[in-house]
Formats: sequence, structure tokens, C-alpha cells
Amino acid sequence: MDPVSPADVCVVIAAHNEAAAIARVVFGAKRAGYSALVVDDGSGDATAEIARAAGAAVVKHPFNLGQGAALQTGIEYALAGDAQIIVTFDADGQHRVSDISRLTDALVREHADFALGSRFLGQAPNLPPLRRLLLKAATAFTRLTTGLQLTDTHNGLRVMTRRGAAAIRLRQNRMAHASEFLVQIASSGLPCVERPCTIEYTAYSLAKGQRVRDAVLILLDLFARRLYR
Amino acid sequence: MIAQLALSVLLAAILLYAWTEYRRSPAVALLSVLAATAGLYFVWFPAHSTWLAELVGIGRGVDLILYTWVCISLLVLLNLHLKLRTQMELVTILARKAALAEALSAAARPRESGDPDREF
Repeated sequence: MDPVSPADVCVVIAAHNEAAAIARVVFGAKRAGYSALVVDDGSGDATAEIARAAGAAVVKHPFNLGQGAALQTGIEYALAGDAQIIVTFDADGQHRVSDISRLTDALVREHADFALGSRFLGQAPNLPPLRRLLLKAATAFTRLTTGLQLTDTHNGLRVMTRRGAAAIRLRQNRMAHASEFLVQIASSGLPCVERPCTIEYTAYSLAKGQRVRDAVLILLDLFARRLYR
Repeated sequence: MIAQLALSVLLAAILLYAWTEYRRSPAVALLSVLAATAGLYFVWFPAHSTWLAELVGIGRGVDLILYTWVCISLLVLLNLHLKLRTQMELVTILARKAALAEALSAAARPRESGDPDREF
């Protein structure tokens, strides 16, 4: 694979009521030379307008469908264009734009189709102990169900080639999409690497993040999805 | 006899429902068939239900039939839930298509008018 030019990279940001944080995230991606695509997932605030004013392309869901649905929409939009590399990136500002190039470099060097960020190989300042425990349990569960030997399975920072993105078809609209993503990576058989990244927890991102109750819902969603075609 | 016939018709309807649902949700369909068949059997051989109820520690045969009916109702509820999920997936596809069509046509407009700043 040829070295990646930032112009070939489309950063997909799924956002729901992120008016307070979206401009900074879009500016960060644009400053690094990437294209930014915000999928406004039926926000009730000015997320879409702010993202557009910050220079992002915006796709707007008519109503709230969930983060998984928004990411799939973003991936399909990016594939409809000429993006060579597609990145999924959180809208609450907890990811660092500088980690994207680390992951794209890994794609090129390792001839991989997926490069996933890991806060446990990198840094996660202010990660609450309960959430750490929850993430570790999710990682053990996903390792068991997918066979992928990852250290961080619920990290929103993912980088993929066009071929990798085309292999992803998320049907889990809500938080269970993170596990479904990995199941689909595993079943695609395409090479996948994991690299350190930093996740900065702030009061804002913690308020938006997952709770113990969400973990139960994720398990139920994953189970229910197996019951029908 | 009238009650037996009425229950048999209802349980046969459940069997028919399970058969029509098999393609979409095999697990739920199979469980429904199992529960409805057990229900039919106990309706026509109630003495066996008493014997089986005593064996598994429920007590009376009529309670066993009641529990079987509760199981069937829960399975139908589960199936309804799965159907709603399927509908939600279809709604998602529809909403996504609408959102993408709108965004892609909006992005194409500046391109047609020669604007080089169009994002992907």
C-alpha cells in the first residue's frame, strides 16, 4: 500500500447533540489535512450547523438512530466518494487527531486493512476504575467470541482501507455496534492491527460515555441479533 | 370436550404461526412448536400432565398446562420484539438512504457549479 496522504483520509464523526464539542473536533481533523464528515444523528441542537460552519461535510439523519447506524451511514458516504482511508472518530473530543497518522502508518507498514486504537496500549488519563473494569470485561468477552487478540474492544478510533470499510455492514444501531464491528472484522479475514492511542476523559465525555446498564443492554442486543435473520 | 376443542384450535393456530415464522426466526419458531405441541398433548391427555407435573414437582396437571401457556405467551412476546427489531432495521436503511441522497445531492451541486471545495 502506498503512503497515505491526509487528503485521502475521511474522518467519520458520528454526533448526537454535540454542539458544545463538535467544532473543536472538526477543526482538529481539518487542520491535519483530513476531510471531516459529521453524521448528525438527529440532534436537537445546532450540531449540524456548527459542524458545517467548521468545514465538515454533513449527513443528517432525519431522527436519532444510534451511533452504530450513524457510523454505517458515514462509511457508506465515504465509500460513495473517493476516500482511500476511512477513520471513525468520537465526537466528544476524547480522541487525539495525532493518533490517526499513527494508525494510518500502521496500515501501510503492516499491509493491514484495519488499524484499531487501544487506550490500554497507550494512555487513558482519568479513566474511572469501574469503567476500566467494564472495558476489560468487554475485551475478554470479545476476545472469546471473535478470536481477535485485542486489548481494547470498545474504542471508537478505527482506521480502515476502502476494502476494509466495504466489508463492514453494521446492523446494530446502538452501542453493540462496537462488538459487531469486531465480529465483522474477524469474519472478513482481512488483516487487522492494534496500536496505542490516547483517550482523554473529561467531565463532558464521561457524562456522554457508557454505563454499567449499557453493558447489559449491549449483551442483550448481541443475543437478540442472533435470534433472527 | 368443548374446552379441549377450543384449546386445540388455539394451539394449532400457534403451530401455524410458528411455521410461518420459521424462516425469520428459527429459534423462536422451534421453541413455540415445542411448547404448543406439549400444550396439545396435555389438553388431550390431562392425566399425563398430572403425572408429569408431579414428576417435576409442580403439583397439579392444570398448573403445568398454565405454565406451558405462559411459556407460549412469552415466546410470542419475544417474537414480537424481534419483529420490531427487524422493522427498526428497515426504518434505519430507509432513513440512511434518504440522508445519503440528500447529502450527496447537496455535495454534487457545488461540484456542478465548479466549486472545488466539495468534500468527498
